[in-house]
Amino acid sequence: MGVTALAAEALALGLSSGPVCLASCAPVLLPVMAAGRPSPRGAGAVLGQFLAGRLAGYLVFASIVWALGTSLRLDAQSRAWAPGGADLAIAVLLASYGMAMRARPLEKACPAGWARRAAPRYRAFASAFLGFASGLTLCPPFVAAGVRAAEAPGLGRSLFFFFCFFLGTAAWFAPSVSVALLRRFEPVAIVARLVLFVLAGYYGYLGIILLGRTYFHA
Amino acid sequence: MPDHSMAAPRRSVRRSLLLTLPVLLWALLVLSRIMTERGNAPKLAGLTTAIFMTALFYGMMRTYETHRWRRRFFVALGFLFPIGFVWDLIALRGSMSIPVERMISGDTPFCFLAIPMMILPAVTTGAVIFPGSILPTASNPHAIGAMVALWLAATLVMGKGWCSYGCFFGGIEEGFAAAPKKARMRKIDPRWRWMPWAVLAAIVLLTAAMLEPAYCIWLCPFKTVTEYPQVRSLETAIQAGIFLTLFLGLVVVVPLLSKKRAQCSFLCPFGAFQSIFNKTGAFEVRIDRAKCQPCVLCEKACPTFSMGPESLASGKTRLSCMKCGACVDACPRHAVVWHIKGTEVGAAPERARLLHLYSAWAFAVMFGGSIIANTLTKLLGFVG
Repeated sequence: MGVTALAAEALALGLSSGPVCLASCAPVLLPVMAAGRPSPRGAGAVLGQFLAGRLAGYLVFASIVWALGTSLRLDAQSRAWAPGGADLAIAVLLASYGMAMRARPLEKACPAGWARRAAPRYRAFASAFLGFASGLTLCPPFVAAGVRAAEAPGLGRSLFFFFCFFLGTAAWFAPSVSVALLRRFEPVAIVARLVLFVLAGYYGYLGIILLGRTYFHA
Repeated sequence: MPDHSMAAPRRSVRRSLLLTLPVLLWALLVLSRIMTERGNAPKLAGLTTAIFMTALFYGMMRTYETHRWRRRFFVALGFLFPIGFVWDLIALRGSMSIPVERMISGDTPFCFLAIPMMILPAVTTGAVIFPGSILPTASNPHAIGAMVALWLAATLVMGKGWCSYGCFFGGIEEGFAAAPKKARMRKIDPRWRWMPWAVLAAIVLLTAAMLEPAYCIWLCPFKTVTEYPQVRSLETAIQAGIFLTLFLGLVVVVPLLSKKRAQCSFLCPFGAFQSIFNKTGAFEVRIDRAKCQPCVLCEKACPTFSMGPESLASGKTRLSCMKCGACVDACPRHAVVWHIKGTEVGAAPERARLLHLYSAWAFAVMFGGSIIANTLTKLLGFVG
């Protein structure tokens, strides 16, 4: 298959399954965006960090599935370590992000210079890493893309396929910047911070169950 | 309206009876379906319920008070509903628990708490994610369509009044909240009142992502007294543990300590969703600022933290007000009043109360009254 055909197929797959990808990532992305009451530009920055992390997750996944498809032989139970670990990482990050975004931000609560410098960096890191971990969780279109990428004749093509797939899905994420329109409602940020903790509990549970199941079945 | 602060006001017996007559006729009409069933138990149960509901309404008319009379109905509903529900489950299945495969096949009676979760998946996929049937079936007469239609009709009229006159779970915690004379837990950070909105946002997002009713599977405390997935694995054991912990904590212990409806205030996503409809409902509670001397008795009386300092300043309750009437009854200066949107605040508060009560009580008799009568029928049939 030529590069153009491969790109078209991946882009079409991404565009067609984008709503499912958005639904899978929205529980993580939307509260993270809303918690900071960002301006449209700030919301765009958070989305950019999240998507960059997600792209990295996709490319890592593409490398793994290509390797699995060519040389490695791992059973399904062993492969469940990745989504279980990703869910647990999401839980920890959501909870810590919620702490960092509390009513009195970290940089104001702690007068130390390092804290003032570290807090925004941490938030950027957290949203990027949340994107990365979300990229590793197995939503149905992602699995479909993974199966196709595993058949690619080389690692480069596998990565390229996932990159195009990412571009297709990313188009669906753009409207989420409209969360910034809610910034003038203070309760939205309070609720979003609480949502981060509720979801941290959910993903934490999911991660523990997945990892536990993998451990006991291994 | 007479002055509450002087002496307990009373409407004349004749006028109170006259105002109650439509409710008696309505109760006899809607409960006649049960009263005409074969045997003595349905007749007695239907008649007892009709008299009970009519007597409570008479109390509201005679005393000008709403909350304490409504609460008796609501607590009766809250405690009798699970009895009747579990009775049916045991008669049909022999157990309160349901195996997952039967849940998937749609043998689950529909509950209104799932309504907010159904909307996004229905819009995006055209599918109803709740494991139940749209239309009634032989094994499951409680269909989704009927419950949604009933909820919508009541909601458009009452707004969040549903949570005081229609919800068949809220009465359990209201009963526990009414039990102690004084609150032992007095200081609860009012910011926790945002939690139901957070739970609503979380479950709506998770439901859209997972295409399963996240609240029913993970968080509903009332699974403890109705129907829960059969415990066959570690996951279902954890789910059962969560249901039990939330029930004991938010429905029993915290209401006993705080005299507040804790589950409604700090968890229920349906309540948060229902708050939105307070914007569309015709009736509301307002504060006449000219009369108000901020004694904060209304704030203390409110079972759901729907009154705060900003309410007293703006003359409006918070969006979460469920129109139970506790604050109106508690105000010694009649500054907290029933109000019809578009009219002058405090102009005719008793007329607004009457109109609100006629619509709310008509629904309460039809929906809650039928549930009470059905459960009484079962209990009377069992005893006699």
